[in-house]
Amino acid sequence: MNIKRSIAGLMFLGIMLTACNASTEKTIPIKHVVEIKQMLFQPAELQVHTGDTIEWINHDFVDHDITEEKNHEWSSGRLTNGQSWKYVIKKTTSYFCSIHVVMKGKIIITGE
Amino acid sequence: MYWHNFPAKQTFLAKPVKTKIMKIKKTSAALTFSAFLLFTVPLLAQNTPALTDPEIASVAVTANQVDINYANIALKKSKNASILEFAQTMAKDHQGVIDQAVALVKRLNVTPKDNAVSKKLNADAEKTKQKLNSKSGKDFDKAYIGNEVAYHKAVVSTVETVLIPQSQNAELKGLLQQVLPVLKTHLGHAMMVESNLSK
Ligand SMILES: [Cu+2]
Repeated sequence: MNIKRSIAGLMFLGIMLTACNASTEKTIPIKHVVEIKQMLFQPAELQVHTGDTIEWINHDFVDHDITEEKNHEWSSGRLTNGQSWKYVIKKTTSYFCSIHVVMKGKIIITGE
Repeated sequence: MYWHNFPAKQTFLAKPVKTKIMKIKKTSAALTFSAFLLFTVPLLAQNTPALTDPEIASVAVTANQVDINYANIALKKSKNASILEFAQTMAKDHQGVIDQAVALVKRLNVTPKDNAVSKKLNADAEKTKQKLNSKSGKDFDKAYIGNEVAYHKAVVSTVETVLIPQSQNAELKGLLQQVLPVLKTHLGHAMMVESNLSK
């Protein structure tokens, strides 16, 4: 009896694990890195899934920020050399550096 | 004084000599090449000031300080938000460049040395400051941003064609190469502010 139960339990566990794996693999949010160097966001355009985290790292010796372009909905504030900032993107967004207004970037949501 | 003898437009805005080697025919190649040596070498020598590393360091610090001084005038006189934001960026970024340059010359044990180019920069800046100080309101904003466009164009050209090629020390050259995209971004920013002003 015990052995049968154990086997059934193991099988159930196996099924559950497989199911979990299958359902989570697609939606696990990942982190993307945008490097700021030589006065550019690199890459300037990035495709991500909803809920992914974007991390910007400033490699320049001048300060930069990352600011939502249209309505200034969000902003990182000043990042000095070596500082980084993370943000979870929920919709396709154009952003810019409000210190150097010609520096622009875009995050494009490609799916769930 | 020394810098008055220096050809005004040629010192700061030295343009690279264009040679149309593509059009040279094979048969006359040797002859043309000697002509090229005869004519372009003296031209280069006349147009481009020859600077040592301590002189390049002095030009770099002076050029940045001049733009900080312009920015400080704008921060006092302007009421236009995009002018004020631009001037704040200029003051902060150009101070950043000076800090980098000063740290580097200290580390290299070099003393920046005054020269014809840095003296001319200061002399021109005096005249520009007087002009800016005599204006107010929208006239000031236009004059300030117009000068920023022209000044950054001139500095970009000097860094590209004089300071970077003539730097002997690799770290000094490297710093100037890092500064170049900053200056180009400032130029783009200034042109954007200028075109929005005239709308
Ligand atoms: Cu920036």
